[in-house]
Order: sequence, then structure tokens, then C-alpha cells
Amino acid sequence: MQKSKKIVILGHFGVGKTSLIRRFVNDSFSDNYKVTIGVHITKKIVEVRADESISLIIWDLEGTDEVRMIRDAYLLGSHGVVFVFDVSRPSTFQGLSQDLEIVAGKTQGIPLIVVGNKIDLVINDELQSLLKENDIEANYLTSAKTGDAVNEMFTYLATILNDLS
Amino acid sequence: MTFLDQYKKQYINRNIQFVVIDLQGHILESDQTFIELKEGDLIYDVHPFFMSFSAILDATQASITYNCVHIEVQDKEFITDLKIFKKENHVLLVIYDLTEHYLDYQSIAQARNESIINSELVVLKNVELEERERFKNAFIQNFSHELRNPLTSIISITNLLEGTNLDNEQRQMVDFLKQSNSNLRLLLDDILSISMIASGRLQLRNKVFNLYDLLELIKFTYKSKTSQKSLRFVMEYDHKIPEYLEGDRLRLFQILTNLLDNALKFTEKGTITLNVKLNQKRANKVSLRFEVADTGIGIPSEKSNAIFESFTRLETEDKKEGVGLGLSIVKGLLSLMGSEVKVESIPGQGSIFYFDVTLIYALDLASKPIEKIKAKPIDVSKLKGHRKYKVLLVEDDERTQTVLFKALMETALFYIDLVNDGALVFETVMNNSYDIILMDVDLPNVPGDQITKLIRGFPFKDIKGIPIIGITGNVFKENIEGYLDDGMNAVVPKPFDFHELLETIIKHLK
Repeated sequence: MQKSKKIVILGHFGVGKTSLIRRFVNDSFSDNYKVTIGVHITKKIVEVRADESISLIIWDLEGTDEVRMIRDAYLLGSHGVVFVFDVSRPSTFQGLSQDLEIVAGKTQGIPLIVVGNKIDLVINDELQSLLKENDIEANYLTSAKTGDAVNEMFTYLATILNDLS
Repeated sequence: MTFLDQYKKQYINRNIQFVVIDLQGHILESDQTFIELKEGDLIYDVHPFFMSFSAILDATQASITYNCVHIEVQDKEFITDLKIFKKENHVLLVIYDLTEHYLDYQSIAQARNESIINSELVVLKNVELEERERFKNAFIQNFSHELRNPLTSIISITNLLEGTNLDNEQRQMVDFLKQSNSNLRLLLDDILSISMIASGRLQLRNKVFNLYDLLELIKFTYKSKTSQKSLRFVMEYDHKIPEYLEGDRLRLFQILTNLLDNALKFTEKGTITLNVKLNQKRANKVSLRFEVADTGIGIPSEKSNAIFESFTRLETEDKKEGVGLGLSIVKGLLSLMGSEVKVESIPGQGSIFYFDVTLIYALDLASKPIEKIKAKPIDVSKLKGHRKYKVLLVEDDERTQTVLFKALMETALFYIDLVNDGALVFETVMNNSYDIILMDVDLPNVPGDQITKLIRGFPFKDIKGIPIIGITGNVFKENIEGYLDDGMNAVVPKPFDFHELLETIIKHLK
């Protein structure tokens, strides 16, 4: 039986979590913002090496600016977390370190990847100074719209989870 | 099944499905209320949600609830709550189909989130616009400052040139040069005004003034200007308007001359009229209406708002001079006065620009000191017979150095030492004895305002008391007030008129 790993995608509303998944799973993008309520779950087989793949079960959680309010049941059995913020909206990353602390407390040491999305909306120099000013270390800077770094990010996480098991 | 059972099945609990699953994940029973599940199939294969079934079994809780889970099964999408109860050798799964309820919630969440995101974006956009505006104004202010040094030199050299022996042709050229200098200076002042208005740094200075004198000055000026274009100038004002009023005379003058210059620019024949009417007089306030009418080309109605924006000019057959700041300044100044300029126009026939302003009027105003502007000849008599005064000129701009050096030397009243670096001033002052210091502010190494502070803090009276006249392109009110606070005796803004500077020097010489 193929290995399957559950990952949860967290972050404030409107940061592009659903768009990242849609780009990764269907290679598509829509500018129309449709709020996610509750949780959508999708599956994608990810090739982590030649002749080696895992089934990534992706839980796309409703965005919230109160990370501590995320229901624990959704996180149960997770193997990895992707925390997404929107580089063009400061309110989504101004409390990032506290948000990550809460997430780490809820998910107990499983791999966590921090992703700054919507990089197509800011120019690179501004982005770098914004990250520096806010003391943010993002693992990936992505654009669901252009597809920048989206596959790399999910594949990287899948590889880590595969190697850990 | 009885009829009753059939009715019950139809009307009761149509949105709750019960499923029993063994510990390996096989479906044992399902009441098939809304999802068809085949007995014996693995629950993992029904939907990815159930891939975490084993984690649920491993959890310590006896039951776990998942709210608002989207499940697509057999080409249908349900939004469900799921409750999982762990029994001894099986699991009971209860699925609630709450699709309708959650879709209502989704539309509310959609509106809420969109509203929050949009208001955040508006705030961000405003911050960005404010930053751009700040940058633009800082740029304009620096730019105008940088232009003042060379302009000072040009104006001063032109004045010096005018005083030399010139033939007629040369004098005509100097006149042309003076006119161009004056235009350039006015343009620079306009640019500075608009940036000060935009950045909120321009403050009105209300003082008592004689409105009739102001209007007569305007009449004199525009009679002459209009006659040069073979136009007529008519000024009418209601003599019930009090003569002495309190307001910002300079800015009112600027508004009226900008409107009149605009009328002059776009009128080729006919009349330009300035009309001042009394709207009302209540308590100590007087409301006046000022109207500037012309018989010029007029303004198409679709352009009547755009003409008040900075750097906007009407497209005309013959390209008019100017950069389109005059009306924008009028708009900004009137806004500071709590008023606005309006325009009525018929293309081809002319335009009327008008505005109302409220000025203060008090019965005892006649006894108040009145601001009068009189050109006084420079009185150098007190300097005659005195030894030559020793002046330290602290200036790094070579053109200004040359101009000042030459102009001061020509008076035969001064010896001049020159220092072009802020760091050298203190040593020079200690080793010499000066009657006055002319101090630029933006100097290499130590700025002029800092040097002034140091000199004023010096323990020896003969040094700390030397009069210091600031010469600067930093012409904002707060700059000048700051330099005076630092200890400068007076500040002369660049580009300066040499006579004005000389008058200031004489005033402060002991």
C-alpha cells in the first residue's frame, strides 16, 4: 500500500491557501476569491524520487486571524503543516512568530513550512526589506497566480515526510 | 415496511446517515440516507477525509467531531458534520448533511472577509499614496532649494550688470534677462507654494491689512499688464466693504493675481474684470465675493474640474506659457481659508472664476497697527566715516561667493574673509575679529545653524555677540524660525535681492 501523509494548510483568510493547493493539484488559478469554510480535503500523488511517490492528503482549512481557534480535530493525525501568509497584507504576518508558536504547540514537533504567498503583487526589493523589517524567515516565497515555487514547496514537504517515515 | 415507517423515513432525519465500520475500516452497515455505501468496501476509498481514519482510532477520545467537512461522493458535494464514536470492536460514524446551513454561513463569511480585506487594502493604498506624496513634496522642496543658489547668482549678476556702462542693445538684453529671472523666480515660488500646500506646511498668517490698498495695487498692476495686450481692465468694489480687515493679505493677493494672470493668459481681446462684492456683514465677520471675469477662450465643461489640478493646462491652438500651477495654488489656498473656487464658462465667450471668503472685521480695527509695505531707500549714512567693517562670508557655493564678494566690495564698506567649510569657521572666528558673519546653512562638515549655536555658546562676549545673518535656500517658516532660535540675528532667503541683504546687514552692524 502506498504511503499517505496528511498535511494541513493554515493561515489567515485570503492569503491564498486554496489557490496554492489548486495550483499544485490542478495547475490552475482563479482571481475570484471564494472563502473556504470548514475544511476541503484533496489528495495528490507526489513523486519524491525516481520510482518513489507518496500520497499527500491536503487539508485546506478555513482561514482565521485567530490561530488558537483552529479546531484540534482538524489537526489530528497530521504529518506536516504549511503556514501561509500574504506578503501584500501586513495583517497576515505581523503576528507571525506568535502564530507559529501556537501552531507548533498544537502540532507537536511535526515539520512546519512557512510560506509567503502572492509575491507577484510586490516588487522584489520591497519584499526583501519587508521580510527583514518584520524579522520573517519564510521557507518559500510563492505565487499561486504565476506558479512560482508552488510545486517545489509541496514536493519539498512531501520529500521530508517520506524520509521521516 | 409499514406505511408509517415509509412516511417516517421520508420526513424524519433525512439529513443524518449512520454507518458502522469495523476497526480495519470495512463498512459493515449503512442506512444509505444520502450516500450510497457498499458493505465490505474500505471507508478509506470513499473520500480522502477517511484516510485519517486510523489516526482517529489511535486517538484517546471516545468520540471525535469534525465540523463543516466538504465531502464529494458519487459526483455530489455535501458539507457535513461528522461524529465518530469508538465502540469496543467497531466504530459508529454519524454524518450530518448541513449543506444548506453552511452555504448560508459561507455567503456571510464571504461578505465579511471581503469587507475586511478591502478595507485593509484601502488603508495600504492610502499609506502608499501618502508616501508617494511625501516623496514628491520632499523632492520638489529639495529641487527648489537646489535651484535657489544658481538663481541667486543670476539675479545678483544681472543687477550688477545693470549698474555698468551698457549700450542700448546691451540694456535691452539685460531687461530681457531680468524679466526671465523674475519669471523663473515666480515659477519656483509657485512650485514651492503648491508643495507646501500639499504637504500641509503652509500656514495662513492673518494680520490686519487695508483691502482698498491691496485692490488699488492690483488695479495699477493689471491696468498696465492688460494694456500691453490691448485689453481693458475694470475693477469694481462695493464701498460698503470695510477698508481694514484681518486676513492673510499675501495669500489673498496671490489668489487674485493667479486668477487675473490666468484670465490674461487666455484672453486675446475684450475685458478682464475684477469685482468684489459684500455678501454679508455679521458680528465681526465680513463675507466677500471676489469675481474675476474675462472675455477669453472659455473652458469646455468637461475640463472645468481638471483645470484646478496641478500641472494641468488647457489645450489651445497657440501653446500658452506656464506649467499649470496657478489655479491649483488658488484651489489649495482657498481650501486653507475654508473656501473654494468655482467657475462658470462659455467656450468662445469667456469665464468667470469666483470665490467667497470670510474675513474678520472689528470696529476698533482703525486703531490697530496696519501692515504697510513701503520701499525704503537704503540708508548707508550711518556707516560713512566708520572704518571698514570686517565681514566673514561662510558660503560653499562658488557662484554665490563670487556674487556676494563682488557686490559687497563695490559698496566700499567692507573687508571680506571667505570660508567654504563649516569645520573651519570656528578657528577663523577665534583668530580674527569680525563685525558680522554671513552664514550659509547647508555647508560641508558642520552646518551653519550648528556653528551659530556653538558661537552663541562661546564664553567670550566679543565672539558670542557677533551678528550672524543666515543666507539659505531652506525657506520654510519652521526652518527660518529654527535658525533664529539657534541664534541667528536674521535670515535672508535665497534667491535674495542684494539691496534687501545689504539693508539687513546694515541693520545689524553695531
